[in-house]
Amino acid sequence: MSLAPAPIPTATAPRGKVRPAPGFWSDAWRRFCRKPFAMAGLIYVVLLGVVALAAPAIVGTKPVICRYRGNIYFPCLGYLHPRLENPIFRRDKFRNPFYKSLQEKDPQSWAIYPLIYQDPERRVGKDEVDGLRPPKGATASSLTAPAAQSSPGPPATEPSFGDPFGNPSGAPPEGTTPQPAPGEFGNPFGDPFAGNADPTAAEKDIDDGPPNAYHWMGVANANRIDVLAIIVHGTKIAMLIGFVTVGIAAVIGITLGAIAGYVGGWIDIIISRLTEFFMSIPVLILIIALLAVINKPSIWQIMLVLGVTGWTSICRLTRGEFMKLRTLEYVTAARALGANVPRILFRHILPNAMAPVLVPITFGIAGAILTESGLSLLGLGSPPDTPSWGGLLNRGRENFETMWWLILFPGIAIFTTVLAYNLIGEGLQEATDPRLREGTK
Amino acid sequence: MLSYLIRRLLLAGLTLLLVTFAVYALIRNMPGTPLTINMAEADPSKRISKEEQLRLERTYGLDKPWYIGYFIWLNKVRKGDLGFSMFQKEPVARSIAKRIGPTLLLSGTSLFLAYVLAVPLGLYFSGRSGKLDERAISLAMYMLYSLPSFVAALMLLTLFYQRLKGTDWALPLQGMISSNYAEMSPWSKLIDIGRHLILPLTCFTYGGLAYDSRFIKANMEEAMRQDYVRTARAKGNGYWRIIVVHAFRNTLIPFVTVLGLSLPALLGGAVILEGIFGWPGMGQLFFASVGNRDYDSIMGLTLMFTTLTLLGQLLADILYAFVDPRVTFS
Repeated sequence: MSLAPAPIPTATAPRGKVRPAPGFWSDAWRRFCRKPFAMAGLIYVVLLGVVALAAPAIVGTKPVICRYRGNIYFPCLGYLHPRLENPIFRRDKFRNPFYKSLQEKDPQSWAIYPLIYQDPERRVGKDEVDGLRPPKGATASSLTAPAAQSSPGPPATEPSFGDPFGNPSGAPPEGTTPQPAPGEFGNPFGDPFAGNADPTAAEKDIDDGPPNAYHWMGVANANRIDVLAIIVHGTKIAMLIGFVTVGIAAVIGITLGAIAGYVGGWIDIIISRLTEFFMSIPVLILIIALLAVINKPSIWQIMLVLGVTGWTSICRLTRGEFMKLRTLEYVTAARALGANVPRILFRHILPNAMAPVLVPITFGIAGAILTESGLSLLGLGSPPDTPSWGGLLNRGRENFETMWWLILFPGIAIFTTVLAYNLIGEGLQEATDPRLREGTK
Repeated sequence: MLSYLIRRLLLAGLTLLLVTFAVYALIRNMPGTPLTINMAEADPSKRISKEEQLRLERTYGLDKPWYIGYFIWLNKVRKGDLGFSMFQKEPVARSIAKRIGPTLLLSGTSLFLAYVLAVPLGLYFSGRSGKLDERAISLAMYMLYSLPSFVAALMLLTLFYQRLKGTDWALPLQGMISSNYAEMSPWSKLIDIGRHLILPLTCFTYGGLAYDSRFIKANMEEAMRQDYVRTARAKGNGYWRIIVVHAFRNTLIPFVTVLGLSLPALLGGAVILEGIFGWPGMGQLFFASVGNRDYDSIMGLTLMFTTLTLLGQLLADILYAFVDPRVTFS
């Protein structure tokens, strides 16, 4: 039925010289390493992963580590999952701000706070931030205060997170002081506001406006949450969206494609029709309709919907690869040895078909992040209380006339992440595609 | 050829039936019906009584289960009636027809611009491969390709609507025409639409342009390595003649496929961008229809999108055989 003997890239095993050649993957890795842009993308993504995991230690209001009634706790883990936080703090009725409760309930306690004292889920105003500082240093800085405050100017930190917080895994360097002192929750202006009584109007501005020394990326209008905190903690969502969505899509696509390509016959016809069926429905229609059926979907349901609708291209590619590879001798040999079908499919053929399939997977991650933020922009994405880049953009869209920082910073975050994945995808393509390899000078 | 076409069309028809059935099943199972959603949001006190709702449901055929409703809808479509939009208060066919103009104006211009700019750009690239200017533009194109259009849209709006307000460079915020459009002279009407079109068009086009130019460049690089290009060079052909006549003509094969597959994009609209710019296109209509549970509108649009998608696939395959004589229908 199918026409079009499309010139599919032939990814046969590298032939040629008979020296003990490096394996396919180590060879591909060597080629990949030689591409500076692709490597930069990979490093950036790894960095994002680190930021996502270490987000509670970078931005938060709960201590990274604290000593309370003789025991050591890690309350910041509560940001990753509420269960990870030790229930003792709930039993002892800890309230926000954490440091006040800690001081009240156990004067002997000490704690090390995250690099930046801010919270992605609730408002943290100037007073609370100042409350954590050692009550001194009112001198010398009073002159710089108004200047730093009145000029919205460039944000205090580079929006590409990562560098400002150097080693995110490490807690603040010197914070072992026996009282709740933030080692350094990084104020590049050298503490301009400490102890300096400002007019109340200006104070209000600080907690409700453009980037300033207290809110490096400004404040989101709803609930007045710090934008930087949302962006750092939103990294987790962005990473999850990418990997989980494409993970689901890859499992469905590879399994169906492998079966269709290897078994052939009726099963192939049915699976191919199914693929065509899914490709014929405009994706956004399907996603929006599915999300409407779920009604107020959680972030996991969104990932599921995106994954279930995004497997078609992977399936097609896998099918093509398997059709090509199943005729090769080593597959026949495996069959002759009595290997069962799943073993042939996934142990013998799949490793050799993986290279071309990896490319759409990488691009798919970028696509998933894009789609999710686009859905958030429409108000269909992640629930409003979860810190996510798309959610910020949505609020920025509602207030784009006044709040540019709600567009610029999440925009840069999404853009750089998508760019990184695209660079990786292209690097992979060039490193594994033998057609492109021959042409390299 | 003919039997191939007939088989393809039959198959497409079957897919169309399946898709519409699936979408109908989906939307009928969304919480809320067009009746309840409209009333509850407009005014809680105006919520209709039980009997009234039952009566309305009977009029619109909503009292029957969804799988029967699908066949009722199908029967209507067979007679050429797309149904009545409860939200737009007009026949679905008319409300879709009203959107065709604006949608085509945006997407048609955008697709055209993307191709017209991408071809010379791609050819230029392949001629200067590896040189500084090529690498700079390639990198810029790559960045553009990764820049989400909705982020660009919001940033451009901040710049041109908000920052440049009051200057000659200021551009309108939303919609396709100004409020005093009716009183304008024909010439200023044209300018007015143009000013409204600039930002959406930019956001709509740059991604496609970046993609197309990279696509052409990749294919050209492949073609330039072929033997026939070497032969052409050996014969002493001029540089541009080799690029355009020998190499580019052979890259048209995959290019044509892309062309065919962009058919649905022509009328599909863009939900997100249209939402940001308030452009009265198909995407907005669809989004509003889903939000209002406007079943007939959703089905009408789905029917149109899916038909275009299937037609595009068919067209791509036929064009493929047309430009590549090695491909035959079997």
